[in-house]
Amino acid sequence: MANDEDYQYSSSDDDFPEQQYYEPLEHRDITNNILDDYEYLNYDTDSLESFNSDVDIVDGMAVSHVTNPNKKRSIEGAMVNLKYECFTTQDIFNNMLEKVDRLQPMFSIPREDIILLLQKYGWDEDRLLEDWTNKMDGLLIEAGIHINNEQKELPKSQRGISNRDFFTCPICCEDQIKETYSLECGHEYCISCYRHYIEDRLNKGNIITCMSCSLALKNTDIDELMNGPSSEKLMHSSIKSFVQKHNENYRWCPFTDCKCIVHIQDTTEFVEYIRLHYSPYVLCNESHRFCFSCSFEMHSPADCEITSSWIKKAKKESDNLNWVLSHTKECPKCSVNIEKNGGCNHMICSSCKYEFCWICNSDWKPHGSSFYQCTMYNNDELKTQTVIEDVSKTLKRYTFFYRMFNEHEVSAKLDWQLGQTVGNKIKSLQEKMGVSWIEGQFLTESLKILNEGRTALKWSFAVVFYSDSSHNLTKIFVDNQALLANSVEDLSALLQIKSPETIMEKKVEFYNKAGYVENRTYALMECGRELISKGIVKITN
Amino acid sequence: MSRAKRIMKEMEAVRDDPEANIDLEFVSEADIHHLKGSFLGPPETPYEGGKFIVDIEVPMEYPFKPPKMKFDTKVYHPNISSVTGAICLDILKNAWSPVITLKSALISLQALLQSPEPNDPQDAEVAQHYLRDRESFNKTAALWTKLYANGGDANSSKGNVDQADLYGIDQSLVTEFENQGFEKDKIIEVLRRLGLKSLDPNDNETANKILEELLK
Ligand SMILES: [Zn+2]
Ligand SMILES: [Zn+2]
Ligand SMILES: [Zn+2]
Ligand SMILES: [Zn+2]
Ligand SMILES: [Zn+2]
Ligand SMILES: [Zn+2]
Repeated sequence: MANDEDYQYSSSDDDFPEQQYYEPLEHRDITNNILDDYEYLNYDTDSLESFNSDVDIVDGMAVSHVTNPNKKRSIEGAMVNLKYECFTTQDIFNNMLEKVDRLQPMFSIPREDIILLLQKYGWDEDRLLEDWTNKMDGLLIEAGIHINNEQKELPKSQRGISNRDFFTCPICCEDQIKETYSLECGHEYCISCYRHYIEDRLNKGNIITCMSCSLALKNTDIDELMNGPSSEKLMHSSIKSFVQKHNENYRWCPFTDCKCIVHIQDTTEFVEYIRLHYSPYVLCNESHRFCFSCSFEMHSPADCEITSSWIKKAKKESDNLNWVLSHTKECPKCSVNIEKNGGCNHMICSSCKYEFCWICNSDWKPHGSSFYQCTMYNNDELKTQTVIEDVSKTLKRYTFFYRMFNEHEVSAKLDWQLGQTVGNKIKSLQEKMGVSWIEGQFLTESLKILNEGRTALKWSFAVVFYSDSSHNLTKIFVDNQALLANSVEDLSALLQIKSPETIMEKKVEFYNKAGYVENRTYALMECGRELISKGIVKITN
Repeated sequence: MSRAKRIMKEMEAVRDDPEANIDLEFVSEADIHHLKGSFLGPPETPYEGGKFIVDIEVPMEYPFKPPKMKFDTKVYHPNISSVTGAICLDILKNAWSPVITLKSALISLQALLQSPEPNDPQDAEVAQHYLRDRESFNKTAALWTKLYANGGDANSSKGNVDQADLYGIDQSLVTEFENQGFEKDKIIEVLRRLGLKSLDPNDNETANKILEELLK
């Protein structure tokens, strides 16, 4: 791909022929040739009517869509009536601390101990209260807050760090240890082993106990031992487990490095919602739009099912040969890395406790109860072989669609880089042309529309891959796809312009092209909905 | 390096306690992180009289991470893979603590032979056998102990052992299908896959299912 530096035009360059301001995108050729490349469809361009949206298909920019009353319906419409909140782990933890404050007068034990109790009960206040009224002291022993009788038989010890002369640590077996740590139970270890032990458990979110018994380390103990606010890390992983456990109602924003968690109180009406609208798309506080159902980026016109099949397929392609060989694996639920222990296929995620099968990555439960539930059980090599054969059969067709999908993914990344420069462009419009900030917003708006169009285009290839190619509606969909592809590339090219004068000259063109992309996106999404609802899309994996 | 010191200490402790009947040896002196451990099958179990050898790999982060253990000796047990020797035991995973030693882990394995946990199986076929017909399971487990865990003397007869016996499958059931012209290996493979060890003569449905699988 050409990179940005090749197109650094100064404002004095604006007497260049117009095209030279555009990045000669390689993918333009490909998208323009979509129709030729569809050897799988007996596509006849002339005989096709566009999909029946209320948008006229006009080649070129003659019609202004800026005043189109339907303009706002497309993407924002996809989020209609969905009530949700966006949090960070810190927000949720703060809520938990409020809980602790509420419970404190009732429990009359230190706040630290209430945190331990709540941690033990997965932050479920109601369940804790119920057990508290029934058990009280028993509960304090269970949670490792109070010492039990058995532990009382050991010599009593002070909770905390001790200075010793010649202590031999039973963990590392070093003698002449000077600094040790122990809880009241008297199980004493060198401070460096204790630190190592805690460090290893901070990201698991469980209560950390003495290495030998069930007495718990409080957050204050952990911070004292680690010489810093390490318990924060433990609390965050504990909240992470909580979110994971309530994964019906909570979703991590899937965007890289985003810490947002979206919460939906009531998910019972999702089926109806999806029938009436698109998938349940939400917007995190960092403005990332994603699907609450499948935790993927916005994927219309594909639905969640197409999306997950498509992703699975793409993964399988690259993972096929690697999965048996590797020794660590990401937990399919929370993505924490788990190491395999000597061949046992029963994997238990240390973070979210999800139990799954090493071989097939699916839930462990059915494996436990009946023989050969795991399709790949005891049959690893054989299965890999057949998977590979299956794949190569459909490979040619798949490769085509995957290439197209990928092409737009790459382009989307380039568009994103382009977005980084839009702010500068608006600034130079302000400085050099005296354009107000508000007036310059058409650039930001155009970029947003471009991104949405690009994403829809990308996912539309997954839809076509699974569609019955002989059906007329599929052909119409492909036609729409080509129209969107062209309009997206046009707009993308327009956004490459660097010269403020040219940008302002072409302001109307920006409006027109962006409006056109918006309408094309909507038309493609609607056509996709019809394709799916009429059962023309079939998932075959 | 504390890991080396700890391993040497553990070796010493095992040597100082011969009564435990636990052995721990380096595979080669050059690599102290690869060991073989062994223990005796617990009395009054089908594993009695056997000596079970376990392959032990000590990871870099030991003792903060558990050792990797698997059976070298073939064992017929719900929590141990009959094919690979992989072990399903909590203390070797989530419940590991640095205070656990190689010796205490081996003793836990011995205890696992004593009391299987069929509801958390590693080998589902074996677990099902255990749950459905304990007597037949015990017979098979004892046969495996004799064949694989009994030192040198039983080895000579290994080649002659009947495949049906090896998996605790009723001989007459195999014969029944052999008489219908199917290969013995194929019959045993199908019966294992279906988790069947014997068959009620009136259970036509299951008989048909077997037939169907045999014809595939
Ligand atoms: Zn130590
Ligand atoms: Zn203790
Ligand atoms: Zn986000
Ligand atoms: Zn989705
Ligand atoms: Zn997990
Ligand atoms: Zn599986």
